[in-house]
Amino acid sequence: MSWVSQILARPRTPGQGPARVRARRWPSSSFDAVTWLLGGLLLAFIVLPLIRLAATSSISNLHQAAASAQVRDATLLSLQAAAITAGIATLFGVPLAYLLARHSFRGRGVIQALVDLPLVVPHTVAGIALLFLLGRTGWIGGPAGHIGVSFYGSQWGIVAAMLFVSCPFAVNSARVAFEAIDPRLEQAARSLGATPWHAFRRITVPLGLRGILTGAVLVYARSISEFGAVVIIAYYPATAPVEIYNLFLQSGLTQSAAAAVVLLIVVLATFLVLRTLATGRLLARIDRAYS
Amino acid sequence: MPTPDSSLGVRELTARAGSFVLGPLTLEVPANRVLVILGPSGSGKTTLLNVIAGLRSSLAGRVDLAGQDITGLPPESRRIGMVFQDGALFPHLTVRENILFGPRAARLPGTTTAEGLLGQLGITRLADRAPRTLSGGERQRVALARALAIQPRLLLLDEPLSALDQPTREEMRGQLRQLLAEQCIPAIHVTHNRDEAFTLADDLAIIAAGTIRQVGNAREVAAQPADSVAAKLLGWTELGTGVQEHGRVRIGDLTLTAPETSTGSGSVEVYYRSEDVILHRADRRLSLPGGLITSIQQVDMTVPLARIRLATTPAISVLTLHREIRTENLEPGSEVIATMPPPSIRIFPSEFAQT
Repeated sequence: MSWVSQILARPRTPGQGPARVRARRWPSSSFDAVTWLLGGLLLAFIVLPLIRLAATSSISNLHQAAASAQVRDATLLSLQAAAITAGIATLFGVPLAYLLARHSFRGRGVIQALVDLPLVVPHTVAGIALLFLLGRTGWIGGPAGHIGVSFYGSQWGIVAAMLFVSCPFAVNSARVAFEAIDPRLEQAARSLGATPWHAFRRITVPLGLRGILTGAVLVYARSISEFGAVVIIAYYPATAPVEIYNLFLQSGLTQSAAAAVVLLIVVLATFLVLRTLATGRLLARIDRAYS
Repeated sequence: MPTPDSSLGVRELTARAGSFVLGPLTLEVPANRVLVILGPSGSGKTTLLNVIAGLRSSLAGRVDLAGQDITGLPPESRRIGMVFQDGALFPHLTVRENILFGPRAARLPGTTTAEGLLGQLGITRLADRAPRTLSGGERQRVALARALAIQPRLLLLDEPLSALDQPTREEMRGQLRQLLAEQCIPAIHVTHNRDEAFTLADDLAIIAAGTIRQVGNAREVAAQPADSVAAKLLGWTELGTGVQEHGRVRIGDLTLTAPETSTGSGSVEVYYRSEDVILHRADRRLSLPGGLITSIQQVDMTVPLARIRLATTPAISVLTLHREIRTENLEPGSEVIATMPPPSIRIFPSEFAQT
């Protein structure tokens, strides 16, 4: 018995109209058709350049690019710096997200606007601003230089640039997650004897973990793709995007395309793994709790 | 074990929540007694509980519990059990983990207590379930067990039954009453439901617009509301505005005998208890002292009591048993004698009635 005949055979409740099974049409209306068409065009615009890029490089070119010490070092540097940035952004972003989600105070709107500021500042401008601050004579770079910490042309400079452009994702993602948690859960925890730290650790963080981890993954993704701010504060050591730009200038489109595909594969692989972890098994329990 | 002085004392307490100001208000809840605070939505009930629990700071006044000034203590140091409207159970923890949360946080030995409470509240079978799988009543039982697991010195119940359906609410009411009676601690239960208030209250406080309008023994408060706000909350019916002089109140076409407690003269607001009005068929009784001869305008067979509207000005509404309607043959157009006992009438000066 097919599922259609099973439905037809199912007893009807009184008051319902005659049994009628309508085949689901897809798309079911002109509205759906238009939305799918427009959305599909945008998706094609995202995917086609990447397919074209992948198709450009032969296997031998890819192998050659992957074997290149420069490309490998640059890719590893990007992965490492992005991971460190995600950690730092989460460490400092989550407390700020909590403040914004839970407290209403004078200037809250200004602070929220400041958090979003890096999203609108052109990244080269951000790089120049960071250079003034963290460069050898900068407010922070100067004193830091005296204790042997240099941001200009170092991994710390790369992390600083990545952090500036990507930290809004950590704050906003965690803030939205915290706002969705009923404040009475924390109040209940406090009334049961939990200190603010205990309530935050046992109630707020587990319930907001999806948002926190999503923020960290977004920071990672945004950081690994950063070019404008990084190239100004740390042209060398070269991150993967900077190295690809160098190859493009020095060796042309074909050479840079092979390196670009290698970077693309690595970035997509790590992003998919992290995203799966952040939204998948780790959070299955919380999903069940809220479903 | 709480000592005889393990009472709660609230003195001249004032708090602010946005533009809303609570207090100043003073309350006393002895150990082993349940104070029910009855008030409409937005009257400050939850704010008051939050201040007592330490979840919201006060502007002035003090809170004493078991002889200790707890006004400045953080909530985790007060050992006050709180039950929220929809339970506020931790969704990522099982029922048992919810109940053990408090003992673990406060480093109390809790496992034995938790198992005992699960049994006492009849929820042992739910111990390993997630809160999302529980019904409303089960959720509130777990919330109660969780609050009691910390062996609280005071229990605060913030409308814990209001989100439940009627049969579950009535069942929970009885269980809650028994449970509270077994605790040797003071308890405050806030609600806007007067049936719930009368079921659970040893003492009753009426709160409106952030101030306590009346407080005292529940039966006394119910019988003698202090003002029109209390009267409405306690289920008295408003008759209207009249004029009092020489021990009588004239209101529309009616002249009522003022209760002995109501003296003076001037504009007054009149309230009465609809269920205390006595009706008899006029053709069956020749006369009744103080009775008003009128006719029935409308009969609504509402449950559990039927509502009869009399053709008076202003209209008197009578709540009566369906059996009475049958035995007295009360129907629209019937001539009746209505008698309103003086204790079932309350008269408030108009100027106070408006505040």
